[in-house]
Amino acid sequence: MNDILLDVQDLTHCFRLGRRTVLRAVDKVSFQLHRGEIFGLVGESGSGKSTIAKCVMSLLRPTAGKIRYLGVNICDPGQFRAHKKLLQTSRQMIFQDSASSLNPRMTVADIISEPMAIHRIRPPRGTHRDEAAFQLRCVGMDAAYLDKRPGELSGGQRQRVAIARALCMGPDLLAADEPVASLDVSIQAQIINLFKHLQAEHGFTFLFIAHDLAVVRYLCDRAGVMFQGRLVETAPTAELFRNPLHPYTKALLSAIPIPDPRRERARVLEPFDPDRFDREGVLAEAAPGHWVLKKEAP
Amino acid sequence: MRRKNPFIYYGGKALAFVISVFLLSAAAFYVSRLAPGDPLVSYYGERAEKMTAAERAQAEARLGLDQPTGVQYIRWLENALRGDFGISYKYKTDVVKVISARLPNTLLLGGIGFVLIFTGALALGALCAWCEGRLADRLICRVGTVISCIPEFWLSLVLILVFAVQLRWLPSSGAYTTGGGGFGDRAVHLILPLAVTAAGHLWYYAYMIRNKLLEEVRSDYVLLAKAKGLKRRTVLFRHCLRNVMPSYLSLMAVSVPHVLGGTYIVETVFSYPGIGTLSFESARYQDYNLLMVLCILSGAVVILCNILAQVISERIDPRAGEGEVPEHG
Amino acid sequence: MDKRFIQVGARSPLPDPAKKPRRSVGKPAAALAVLAVIAAGCLFCEAFIPKDPAYMDLYHASQPPSRAFWFGTDTMGRDIFSMIWHGGRVSLAIGLLSTAVSTGIAVLSGAASGLAPKWLDGLFMRAVEIFLSIPSLLLVVFLQAMLGKAGVLSLSLVIGATSWTSMSKVVRAEVRRLRGSEYVLASRCMGGGFFHILRRHLAPNFFPSIMFMVVMNVRSAIAAESTLSFMGIGLPLETISWGSMLALSEKALLSGAWWIILIPGAFLAVSLLCMTSAGNWLREGGRQDSSHL
Repeated sequence: MNDILLDVQDLTHCFRLGRRTVLRAVDKVSFQLHRGEIFGLVGESGSGKSTIAKCVMSLLRPTAGKIRYLGVNICDPGQFRAHKKLLQTSRQMIFQDSASSLNPRMTVADIISEPMAIHRIRPPRGTHRDEAAFQLRCVGMDAAYLDKRPGELSGGQRQRVAIARALCMGPDLLAADEPVASLDVSIQAQIINLFKHLQAEHGFTFLFIAHDLAVVRYLCDRAGVMFQGRLVETAPTAELFRNPLHPYTKALLSAIPIPDPRRERARVLEPFDPDRFDREGVLAEAAPGHWVLKKEAP
Repeated sequence: MRRKNPFIYYGGKALAFVISVFLLSAAAFYVSRLAPGDPLVSYYGERAEKMTAAERAQAEARLGLDQPTGVQYIRWLENALRGDFGISYKYKTDVVKVISARLPNTLLLGGIGFVLIFTGALALGALCAWCEGRLADRLICRVGTVISCIPEFWLSLVLILVFAVQLRWLPSSGAYTTGGGGFGDRAVHLILPLAVTAAGHLWYYAYMIRNKLLEEVRSDYVLLAKAKGLKRRTVLFRHCLRNVMPSYLSLMAVSVPHVLGGTYIVETVFSYPGIGTLSFESARYQDYNLLMVLCILSGAVVILCNILAQVISERIDPRAGEGEVPEHG
Repeated sequence: MDKRFIQVGARSPLPDPAKKPRRSVGKPAAALAVLAVIAAGCLFCEAFIPKDPAYMDLYHASQPPSRAFWFGTDTMGRDIFSMIWHGGRVSLAIGLLSTAVSTGIAVLSGAASGLAPKWLDGLFMRAVEIFLSIPSLLLVVFLQAMLGKAGVLSLSLVIGATSWTSMSKVVRAEVRRLRGSEYVLASRCMGGGFFHILRRHLAPNFFPSIMFMVVMNVRSAIAAESTLSFMGIGLPLETISWGSMLALSEKALLSGAWWIILIPGAFLAVSLLCMTSAGNWLREGGRQDSSHL
């Protein structure tokens, strides 16, 4: 069990929209992250992926359920406070829109060294600036960009800066909320490869949120499929793509375009009707490591 | 968005008003009891210092000063709801009587001043926007900046010095000459205070109108209107000014306290028998009953104006009332 | 024009220096110079004032300006020229002190209210509204009565404590706008506390917009001091300031001693005017686009 870094149990989060309406953004979601793996979370927009990431990063407090990180229940304020420094340094997050997640008034050097400044950590490579330069090189950028501001960088460069900021603390868990969604396709490929490379080098555990199935298939070891706040299926990526079990997953996978016009034309789309898909039930193990939402209790 | 029941809407606003005034009265009461000074002295004058302890206690009991503040407040509130706000220590009469004798004077000065500011600012602002960047605009802006920098009391002093002391054209103080009090007499007494009140506030609002109009003039619909062949005057007055009016109205509603505060100073300098002079006298003579009621009175007017401004801006722009939609995951 | 065509599609590494925002309000060099002269004169007044400003020369009360008394004497026989420089110190000090007080309160309360959950924020705004609803002059009178005898420090505190609300509202609005932004979220996620976020992320953003208000606050604090002292509820006559000098003007009015009223008031008005032009310059009313009218 030492292998499990993050253990999410029955996580539920509700947003109050009005006096009476409550939106269940995340509904009894359970999954586990093993040390050093890349876990992809896919689903359409509004299915609760980002809410899960925010709960995991303690930016939102779950309505119900437990999140254990390294055995610490981070939903409990007392435990959170006791392990505050550990939790804040070893978990880092990358946001979707790099244009808004970097303060436009700060220089790249300041942005990258902000977490070190917050926790008053002496950087391993001399000054904050040297450390920022090193991290910048790690994500494939030249130190000449240190004094630029986010507005002067391209989207891909900004995302690289955000990655450098997250990595300078040497995190154990990195959560990325659709980090490539706002980029051009060619830049997306670069960033995805960068993630792959950095993960192999640093060995952090990576919670990767995306709506692009091809990206998840390429990058992730395991993947989970979200549908209207429920986690409907989770399996190793290869297994998931070969043998989808939940009707929603099937419909989703059948919608991937095939890069061959003849086969693409002949392809049969699974009928997509949100009401048809089951949201009820509990996760049951259908094959080793392959869990599907099933109606009857196990 | 769901339309609200107007009954509930205005009921809610009225409730907010009542609660705010209630809180205000509690705060004013509490603070006035904390303030130093012996109210007995202001009530009995010199005699209070010569009183024996027993006489003192008796006097305090009669005025209700010996009880804890909470009890005093509840008693005060009970009486207040019946229309009895207590006795002014200084004037030795009912507070309501003292105030109601002065109120019309302030309403006259403040009301006319407010109308002057309101219309004057509109006219000047539109004029400046009309000839933006030209001599008239620059001149008005420059003069406005200079005059709005001058403290009101000093402006009053200078005007008194020039028109009352040197030229002897206008009276220097009061609301009417003793014995007189005709329409002409009152009007003459109002000229200087009104001039100061208007001059002190006019420019700020005129400048605001000008800037809003200039912002408006740069939007695309003006280009379209010009392309349609509308006259310059029509575009400015029929289209732009109409778009500026709502925010101007709600600003004017909020700005009542500023104008009010201004007339208080002006009243004092001109010894004009209004609420402002009364407030300062009561503060100086530690006439707490009077001061408190004055505070609550002007506070209530201000709260009312704030709510009015809220209603205006919400009626015009329904987005203003509702809070932001919470962020989604 | 050529440049524009060449640059299509290329991202220039540095912003074009020619695109610097043009200020429609020119740098108010004259105003700043006058302000500097007045401030320096007040600060180093011992070096050149001819008489002791507090000395009451009753034989020479209410003297018009002459060779001996450049600006005349007041009804208590004090030399107005010396008093102006000496009193300017007190007035400027009150302006700066009370602005420091009000800015501090405004930034802290505005940021806290902007970052607070909605119900707390609503409650706070209601409280501010009630606080605002009392005419600030009456509030000053109340506070003054509670603090006891007025001095420079207590008056600064009182004026500062009654003039923070509008600035607080601006700060709150800015913070509310910024708090949803992802970089604040990112900073919170990294463990940045209230003061860190305030200093690194929020303050740089609202600083320009309150800079103007800070200067205007100095101005209105000086005006408030003079008004209060004039009314007799500010500084006493013995503490010389521009306001307390004018407190004698009611007597002066009757005797037609114009110099007692006009000269200190002119100094006051000129200083206020200079501060206003400096403030307007700070507000940066750059208007590049042209009118469609």
